[in-house]
Amino acid sequence: MADSSKPDPLSTALDNRLDELFREDDPAPAAPAAGKAKTSPLSELKKIVLSIDWEITPEALDSFSDQVRLLKEHYQGDKVILVFLQVLGSLGQYIKSSRSKVHPSTFTVLNSVFARLDEIVSTPKMAPAVRRKLLQAEMDAYQELRAKISQRRAAEPAAKPAAAIDTAARPPAPAGRPVTPEMLAGAVAELKEFIRAELDALRQLAKSAARRD
Amino acid sequence: MAFINLKSKIIQVKIVYYGPGRGGKTTNLEYIYRKFHQRINSEMVTVKTHGDRTLFFDFLPFDIGVINGYQIKIQLYTVPGQVKYNATRRLVLRGVDGIVFVADAMAVRREKNLQALKNLQENLASYKKNLHTIPWVIQYNKMDLADQGIPILDVELLERDINREFKRPAFPASAVKGTNVVATLKKIISMTVASIRKELL
Repeated sequence: MADSSKPDPLSTALDNRLDELFREDDPAPAAPAAGKAKTSPLSELKKIVLSIDWEITPEALDSFSDQVRLLKEHYQGDKVILVFLQVLGSLGQYIKSSRSKVHPSTFTVLNSVFARLDEIVSTPKMAPAVRRKLLQAEMDAYQELRAKISQRRAAEPAAKPAAAIDTAARPPAPAGRPVTPEMLAGAVAELKEFIRAELDALRQLAKSAARRD
Repeated sequence: MAFINLKSKIIQVKIVYYGPGRGGKTTNLEYIYRKFHQRINSEMVTVKTHGDRTLFFDFLPFDIGVINGYQIKIQLYTVPGQVKYNATRRLVLRGVDGIVFVADAMAVRREKNLQALKNLQENLASYKKNLHTIPWVIQYNKMDLADQGIPILDVELLERDINREFKRPAFPASAVKGTNVVATLKKIISMTVASIRKELL
């Protein structure tokens, strides 16, 4: 490494330039220049999506839900954007409830849905047909993810018969009744019904948006 | 080795902010951008792509101007601190000229600092570089948290943990408040440019 302790013309010139560039005489940091990202209604949501991808924290997920809710209010008149936000909201809820067990494809879908939404929001003159096409592609990816999640969840109890027997042999859980296979099957059925209902609602919204456009 | 175009007399210097997750690397860059963006006439960019690997880092390029006939362009990068992003960290370190190691002064993060330093050494080794030869400085960040009653490691202990072997310039700092953010930056730029110059001669 260079010995930077000896002053020479270059280092003196460099130090002077750095002093000039990074002079800290302003009382407080200036506000960032108004750019596209700062003026976009999605700028806050974008930060949160990035931070969730970096590290999943309860705070980030709460902020995510809040932002999606606020944006739904903001875009009440735009059905396509509402469907995108509905999908993002569902993904956020799923990440929050599953945390470490989140299906690995979830973040790919989340980022893709957000990127398409960002594209639509930042292109106000986008043709309705293009908007619908983008929405449809994301809906397909979302539905594919839901199917994968359902498959994985359905496979979990079946893949662990020994664990179920082992559980039955143990004393009942302190919370109350022991979990029986029937209860598990009921929970899975309930979950499937919930997913089906949610998908139906999203399909209705998508159709409604397509008709409106 | 820095990107040097002798014909057009441009030297591009890559400086990477490295350290444990949530230690304040991005906050350093955000402060620099917020405070000086008009003077350095630049934009801070968060690069993020998905595919067969994940890349995620902050990037702040700016020109220093012409010094002794050479136009010097600085590129500041941060790397994700989380363990799972080691491939990204290694990738961002490719072609690095100078490093700011941002240590977290919170007492509970002591072990994380050591892990991050070890990880830095390992990743540098993959490029046949090491902390004894590359220009680098240390920043002990979050010193301001002591005012809030949060247990902070004192500088002597941090020096023993991180800098005993290397004896590098070190700055107690608060990236949130901007304390010593600029001093850290100026030092690493000076050291790195001096090192590049020595390699050129």
